[in-house]
Amino acid sequence: MSPVDEQQPQFGTLAPDNWKLAIVVGLAVSALAILSLPVKDSFWVTGAMVAMVAAAFVVNAYRRHYYGGLLVSPAIAVLFVMNIFPLLWSLGLSFFAYQSNQQNIRFIGLHNYEQLLTNDLKAPELWGNLTNTAMFVVLTVTAQMIVGFLLAVLFAKQFPLRRYLLILVLTPMMLSVVAVGVFFSYYYDPTFGLLSQAIKAWAGGEQFILMSNKAGAVAGIVFADAWMWSPFVMLLVLAGLVSVPKYLYEAAAIDRVSSWRRFWSITFPYIRGLLMLALLFRTIEAFKLADLVILLTKGANDTMTISYHVIRIANEQNKTSEGAALSYLLLFVVIVLTNLYLYIANRRARGN
Amino acid sequence: MTAMTKLKGLASAAGLAAVLMTGGATMASADEVTLTMAVPDWPPTRIMKKMFDEQYKPASGNTVKLEVDFIPWPDFYTRVNASLTSGEQKYNMAVSDSQWLGAFIEGGYYRKINDLIDADPELKAAMDGMHPAIRNAYSTYPYTSDNFYGFPQFPDVLINYVRKDIVCNEEEQKNFQAKYKQKLPCTNEELDDMDWDTFEKVGQFFMRKKGEMLAGKPADDDFYGIAYQAGKGYDFSTSQIHTMIWQTGGNIWDETQVPKGHAEGVVNSELSVKGFDHFLRLLQYMPPVAKTGTMDIFKTDELFREGKVAMNIEWIGLGEASLDPKTSKVSDKLAFGLMPGLRGADGKLVRWSQIGGQPFVLMTWNTDLQNKEAVGFVKWWLSPAIQNQYAAGGGQSAIKTVYSDPKYATYRPWNRVWAPSLDWQKDMWHVPQFFELLTQQQDQYDLAITGKQDAKTTLDNIAKFQENLLTEAGLIQK
Amino acid sequence: MAEATTTFWERLGLRKASGVGEAGWGQTLFAAVISLIYFLPVLLFIVTSFKLQTEALAVPPKFFPTSFFGLILDQYIFSPTLANFTSVFSRAYTAGAAAESTGFDRFFFNSIFIASTSVLLALVIGTLAAYGFSRYPLRGNDTYLFIILTTRMLPAIVVIIPVILMFRVAGLAGSYPGIIFLYTAFNLPFTIWMMKSFFDELSPDVEDAARIDGSSETRVFFKICLPQVLAGLAATFVFGLILTWNEFLFALLLTGVDTRTVPVALNQAVAGGGIGVLWGLLAAIETLFLIPVFLVTFFLQNQLLRGVTFGTVKR
Repeated sequence: MSPVDEQQPQFGTLAPDNWKLAIVVGLAVSALAILSLPVKDSFWVTGAMVAMVAAAFVVNAYRRHYYGGLLVSPAIAVLFVMNIFPLLWSLGLSFFAYQSNQQNIRFIGLHNYEQLLTNDLKAPELWGNLTNTAMFVVLTVTAQMIVGFLLAVLFAKQFPLRRYLLILVLTPMMLSVVAVGVFFSYYYDPTFGLLSQAIKAWAGGEQFILMSNKAGAVAGIVFADAWMWSPFVMLLVLAGLVSVPKYLYEAAAIDRVSSWRRFWSITFPYIRGLLMLALLFRTIEAFKLADLVILLTKGANDTMTISYHVIRIANEQNKTSEGAALSYLLLFVVIVLTNLYLYIANRRARGN
Repeated sequence: MTAMTKLKGLASAAGLAAVLMTGGATMASADEVTLTMAVPDWPPTRIMKKMFDEQYKPASGNTVKLEVDFIPWPDFYTRVNASLTSGEQKYNMAVSDSQWLGAFIEGGYYRKINDLIDADPELKAAMDGMHPAIRNAYSTYPYTSDNFYGFPQFPDVLINYVRKDIVCNEEEQKNFQAKYKQKLPCTNEELDDMDWDTFEKVGQFFMRKKGEMLAGKPADDDFYGIAYQAGKGYDFSTSQIHTMIWQTGGNIWDETQVPKGHAEGVVNSELSVKGFDHFLRLLQYMPPVAKTGTMDIFKTDELFREGKVAMNIEWIGLGEASLDPKTSKVSDKLAFGLMPGLRGADGKLVRWSQIGGQPFVLMTWNTDLQNKEAVGFVKWWLSPAIQNQYAAGGGQSAIKTVYSDPKYATYRPWNRVWAPSLDWQKDMWHVPQFFELLTQQQDQYDLAITGKQDAKTTLDNIAKFQENLLTEAGLIQK
Repeated sequence: MAEATTTFWERLGLRKASGVGEAGWGQTLFAAVISLIYFLPVLLFIVTSFKLQTEALAVPPKFFPTSFFGLILDQYIFSPTLANFTSVFSRAYTAGAAAESTGFDRFFFNSIFIASTSVLLALVIGTLAAYGFSRYPLRGNDTYLFIILTTRMLPAIVVIIPVILMFRVAGLAGSYPGIIFLYTAFNLPFTIWMMKSFFDELSPDVEDAARIDGSSETRVFFKICLPQVLAGLAATFVFGLILTWNEFLFALLLTGVDTRTVPVALNQAVAGGGIGVLWGLLAAIETLFLIPVFLVTFFLQNQLLRGVTFGTVKR
């Protein structure tokens, strides 16, 4: 690395790595294009300018060996265009009074948030949906972790035909949610459903109506969701279990360590990170639970979740701003929770 | 880094290609017109597309292509709504539920067609030739005004699907007579004259456990009297409950009374509560799935086709599947009657019903040429010969000369009740607040249907919500 | 860690390959019972794919295609048919009409093409980024990583309007590049998080030695680091594929007639044709749709286990 490379190019010079100049030129040209050209053309001009600035950054980084930024930039670029930019857009919309099927738009600051949190019709609804969502998160994630863990233990040891049996257990998570929802609604149906018929054949009496009260409806949804996603947890935990070196167990056997202690001191450290990852991703997904609710109960018997509520508001009723505000309240809760996870995970990792 | 550059080059090339492709499509030669239409994927639209491709010759001499995007029903609204509200301007025409009119007209998407009608005597004649109930429901915003927007694609009403083999069984007839001192309706005339009380008795009478005798044979599974939608999704209880409330003499918030009409005191009036209670009373004679909030349009139909109920009040649109032995276990045992009415003090039936079916509309961004060709297409579509052909293939027609022709009744067994049903059809709301009104109401109805709330409280809640919402929107003024 | 080579028998799972221990056929029997119970809901709809509509909802349910030499009562037997599978690709849309193509061959191609391309693209971009985050930490590295994760936390419906608007302006709506880029972005967070943990696990000594020997950074990445995380790449690929394979909402709103994927078209069988659920057809589509991802998972299973392990276990 020669000292010359370290030096930034002069602002005025026309060099491929002069990113400062590129930004200024890019901004000027884009502004001009947006003002003078039709939207469709100005979009591409602006795009080209962004590409130019990006190229300047890349050349600059390459010449100065900023490998970190260089490697990360394509991912950040894609994420920015496809994810972060739309997210910021909808964050912006949440401060406006805007309905996507109306032409007028008005800045109202935090009014949407205020309404959601204090309005005597909306606040109880939000609170109800939030508690339902929390309940689903706790129940589905717990069920997935327990079932996933037990399945992993079942498959931890090598045995004949393991490969073939394992793939059977992995199948549910490969299915389309629509198919799962529709088929479970058939399994749960009081007239045609297998569950009702099995219970009737076994216990006799009336048809069994699983979804006629909250407990049953929640159980039905949680069961379907946990069935579908426990394999995800299982796969991660199983990977941890098979990685525990055998000699540790052999040593433990010689020392006659109790199986409980053996699990905590030998096995657990190997699966802790994976459990955390599974917990993290499943929790994030569980907060977004809506499809199965829509397919199985339509929110009947008090099974409305906050994500389903967002879909209703933002899509069916076209209340874009209110939907966005609601989502960001949800996001806030999820961020706090995930940070808590990561904090605990990191602290424990350091503690060991 | 070269790999990265290549990748970026590839991406921009792909983007450019996409632009060129879309650009190329709009630059086609002047006398080739493409009309893109969003439709739900089901027989009435499939038939229309087929007839268009095989028969349509534009009078203008241009080449007209109808590009149809068949979207499965469950996602139809989501897809169309997203396309319209994002300003994608992808579609020139779309099938639309009549209740969506306000929301999408106020958004500036659906095109007002009065000028097209006025400019074209043939089109005007076609619009005038329609049954007024259908024209009002499918074309006007505000509801029943003179602003027109839509043309009928598949008009639909609720009718009674009946298991003839069961209600006409002699043993059952005799027992019913003995129990209720009245005749169990079996012939077409008797079915058409049926009132809700008789319907309820039919429900009670035909509740059978597995193994009990049913029409001379032991039932192979539990059997239920009646089915009538009571689901939480979309409008799967609203249409049914409105019908009952109207017939009882109550009302919903009446859009035609803007700005003086109120929700409070109307929606929760004594008669409305009585009508709603009547609806709730029917639930006990329905299959147990009614208690779960998922007794929707498809579930009642499925129960009927699987032979689990004696009578089902259902839209005509689902009829074909009942007649087809491939999808129905009762295809050869069917009769169809008018939807029941409520018998008044004078012995006459009070009839009202929520209209179903869909119009199709034009979009505001269509070019003049596209509009011209679209009008040509609409005139062809509404012409008697084509409407007859459509009805013969399983569609329904709103055109008087078509449905009042005796041969219309021969197309399908339920066509007999089509014309008489039209006179008492009403629509609920065309206002832009439709979806808010609907979802809140469906939620509340569901609480009553699943037994968590009584009829009075439910309607009080709905009235309060609607009064608030509509006052804020300026549709109710003190 | 599993050893490098496996014999034919080991691949069949008939011999011990690796793991904490070994169990015999007793364990096989126990696991088989559990696995089959777990698999039962899938098995039931696969069976349904061979049933006619009128038999699909029969009470009592018809489970068996044959009587197994008289063992099964008649009422539990259905007459198996392949009609549903042909209907997936070609059927009559209205009663009495001639059968026409449903376009499902195209939808299957689209699903396979879009999912595999976007997952591979995410793998390339994400692996580079993960390597960057792992080897050349930026200021606020963890914050970046967390922000990347955040993009997965919001309900998708919220960003739908801006995304559609962008696609319209860019002319990407209904095109392959559009949906592929979107899915690539959709897959990146998971890819980056997983691949980063794999790179974190690698011992830096080998790399440093190579650098001292004068290898360029590019060479270190391709010749030393990448070969060590191949199993991780396979694992990430499978996870990405499974998560992308069934994506519904964006596919519904951003694909056109020609680029439609199977999860969207699937609803044809849920409420198409003026009827509710066409049970046999739905089951047939889902069964066919399951096959590709099932096979990929099956053949990458060993890498899947090894890969996941490799990356995320702290030692």
